[in-house]
Amino acid sequence: MADSGQSSVKRCESGSVSSVNMETISALTELEDLERVYQQLCAEEKEVEAELDRLVGQEGSIHTKMLALQRMGPDLQLVGGDASQLSGMITFTCSLAENVSRKVRQLDVAKTRLYNVIQRADDILDLKFCTDGVQTALRNEDYEQAAVHIHRYLSLDQSVIELSRQGEESSAVDASLVLLQEAEQKLKVIVAEKLDEAVAAVNLAQVERFFKIFPLLGLHQQGLARFGQYLCSQLGSKAEENLLLATGGDLGEKRALLVFADTLTLLLEGIARVVETHQPIVETYYVDKFIQQRGYHNKFQIVQSSMMKSMPGERIEPRELDPVLTEVTLMNARAELYLRFLRRRIMADFEVGDAHSITQEHQQNVEKLLKHCLLSRMMQELIGYYIPMEEYYMRESVNKAVAMDTYEKGQLTSSMVDDCFYIVKKCISRALSSSSIDCLCAMINHANSLLESDFREVLYNKLRQGFPATTLQDIQRGVSSAVSLMQSSLQQGKFNTLGIESAENAKAAFLVRYTDSCTFTRSHIHTLLLSSRCNMFQGGGSGDQAKIESCLSDLVNTSSKFKDLLQEGLTELNTTAIKPQVKPWISSFLSISHNIEEEEFNDYEANDPWVQQLIVNLEQLMAEFKTALSPVIYDTLTSLMTSLISIEMEKTVFKCSFSRLGGLQFDKELRSLVAYLSTVTTWTIRDKFARLTQMATILNLERVTEILDYWGPNSGPLTWRLTPAEVRQVLALRIDFRSEDIKRLRL
Amino acid sequence: MSMEDYDYLFKIVLIGNAGVGKTCLVRRFTQGLFPPGQGATIGVDFMIKTVEIKGEKVKLQIWDTAGQERFRSITQSYYRSANALILTYDITCEDSFRCLPEWLREIEQYANNQVVTILVGNKIDLAEKREVLRQRAEDFAEAQSMLYLETSAKESDNVEKLFLDLACELIREAKQNKLDNNDTAPMPGEGKTISYLSCCSLN
Repeated sequence: MADSGQSSVKRCESGSVSSVNMETISALTELEDLERVYQQLCAEEKEVEAELDRLVGQEGSIHTKMLALQRMGPDLQLVGGDASQLSGMITFTCSLAENVSRKVRQLDVAKTRLYNVIQRADDILDLKFCTDGVQTALRNEDYEQAAVHIHRYLSLDQSVIELSRQGEESSAVDASLVLLQEAEQKLKVIVAEKLDEAVAAVNLAQVERFFKIFPLLGLHQQGLARFGQYLCSQLGSKAEENLLLATGGDLGEKRALLVFADTLTLLLEGIARVVETHQPIVETYYVDKFIQQRGYHNKFQIVQSSMMKSMPGERIEPRELDPVLTEVTLMNARAELYLRFLRRRIMADFEVGDAHSITQEHQQNVEKLLKHCLLSRMMQELIGYYIPMEEYYMRESVNKAVAMDTYEKGQLTSSMVDDCFYIVKKCISRALSSSSIDCLCAMINHANSLLESDFREVLYNKLRQGFPATTLQDIQRGVSSAVSLMQSSLQQGKFNTLGIESAENAKAAFLVRYTDSCTFTRSHIHTLLLSSRCNMFQGGGSGDQAKIESCLSDLVNTSSKFKDLLQEGLTELNTTAIKPQVKPWISSFLSISHNIEEEEFNDYEANDPWVQQLIVNLEQLMAEFKTALSPVIYDTLTSLMTSLISIEMEKTVFKCSFSRLGGLQFDKELRSLVAYLSTVTTWTIRDKFARLTQMATILNLERVTEILDYWGPNSGPLTWRLTPAEVRQVLALRIDFRSEDIKRLRL
Repeated sequence: MSMEDYDYLFKIVLIGNAGVGKTCLVRRFTQGLFPPGQGATIGVDFMIKTVEIKGEKVKLQIWDTAGQERFRSITQSYYRSANALILTYDITCEDSFRCLPEWLREIEQYANNQVVTILVGNKIDLAEKREVLRQRAEDFAEAQSMLYLETSAKESDNVEKLFLDLACELIREAKQNKLDNNDTAPMPGEGKTISYLSCCSLN
């Protein structure tokens, strides 16, 4: 027991399981506590005993394991011996291998040195060969060969040469080196001189020959610069020659007017040809491309400055400007063509050069170069001068056409209209031919403003001036022959009134003609655009197209303004030319009594008192207009006239009085009139005569109350255009209807 | 004017010296970007943006012109049909401000007299380099009875406001014009002709 108690204490000291130690036990005084602790300790003791039993049980198996281990001892000793033997062998093999590899490395170094020696010997031999070769070649003036030798020398490794100089043969190598360097310098000088000579002598073959030598001598830049210079000077001189020819040439010649454009064309064509022929050379021998082209542009200045000088001086007669303008647009078109050519070339080169590196940046750079190069700038300036001149030309020409306006009989439009549209069309076509979108848009804008403000004003004033005269004529005529216009007087009148009327009509007519022209111009431009679109709109052309579309739509808007003007003009014409004639014809209705009995009604049946004459008169009046006006305008005019007639009729009817048969008579007359008017217009006129027809219906009633069969809920499909008050008013026109009955009506 | 997809169509033309930021203002407004290293404009560029103002669709046709002298004759041709002109200068460039009277002369000469002109001082993001004081520009604008606004295309300051204010002003004028027109010039048509026939009848 003491044993287990000790162990329990030990475990307590080690601080593990038991929650009770000796001090706590001795401190306990209460019996309850002591009993509880005792129970606890008993439980712990049982636990410890169980564990001890378990440990004792394990002793057997541990013993067997120890025995097995003891038996393994001798085996392990054997393994140890084997292992140390193996390690010795590995160490030996290793040292052996290291020895072998060292020897191989030494061999390799020896081989490399040997190669170097051979290379150097070769170089030295080459050098000597070059030295000899250069001298012979120079002596024989075989510059290509000499250049090849120098090229070989230059491509030798400089350090190798340095090394060989330190070797035993240094003096010999030195000597050849010096010789070579001398030869190189000499060759450079000679080639440069020869190239200059060739350039001076304009010997293309020689130029090309020496041009090819430059890259061999490592002078790429210099060669390119010289070649570019050569090409420039050649182009310059050629251009100057042409210019001299141009300015010195006989100005009486027909082509003299176009010399500048011709000159530029020649120049550009020349350049294009040069670029084409020399490009392979440049590409083969030089890495950098197209630098020389920038040089070209300087040369344009010569030509263009002279162009510019020639232009502002000619602001006198529009007709004189004509050729200059054509020339400028031609020049611009040529320049555009040239730039397109360059762009295509450069793009092609990019593709050939390195398909992977064609980045957006490259293309942007090219665009930038082309857009901002001197040529573009010059052309932009030229166009800048061109536009105001073209505008001036257009304006002046139109003014002239207006001033020379004549009207030919049988023509629907006056000369002015035709001329103006011819001019405007011409100017826009010319602007289009410049291949410059901005230029085209600007001219469309100018044309638009010219037509919309100036030209419209001219027409407007003409319309305004015209009508009072017509009215005057009408009054005169009204005085001289009041009742009707006899055939003869009509013919006489034609010379006076019709002359003016027709002129007015014509003016109205050409308004429509304008609309047509406008659409025509538009479609014309569209066709032209379509044909040149593939060329002009290469690369992001949608913006350009939108620009043109927008400018054109302004033009269309203008055409609708002209339509308004036309409408105004026609209304005016209707009031001043038609109304004074039609009005008395309709008023004559008053003199025909409609308070009639059977006998008179039959008499009217036999001899029409009014409507037939009215129709004949109207027919004659409208015949004049029909010949002078275009169908569309004539139609509008007749429409205006029918409105006028219906209004006048209504007013007249309200001044009459009717019997039952008189109402029937009026109904007949109205039907004839409507039937006639329906034949002369394509418009539906029933609507315009709705009120009158309803009035006739009322005048035809048997009794006052019969109206109720047609009114209100009984109206059926009929929509009354007359107010109840008006219905009463019409009913009152019937002399046989009593006013009390009318008043009593509930409408 | 067709009424397909908008209630109003206005043409706005930007003018002013080269390099004051016209293209950048237009790009900022129409595309929401500020292109650094923007090259000089060639001739005229054209952009469209439709905005909605108080429920009405307004299509803005914006013409961005080249400031360089050699394009002047091209750009001038657009003045007349413009509903509004945005005259732009660079607040960091005294020269661009001094040229304004010259531009005003151009406007006087080429634009229609109903055109709405607004003066815009651009590049206020470069405040430390400012050469033209705000007060001075405001005075100038007032003397010429123009609206005035300072913007930065780079920081997108006032750009939206510029175009929207302009659109509002244009709508207001368009409505005003419509009213005026209805009062003074009757459209030639049936309704009106009656009265005017009766008033000039001779018998």
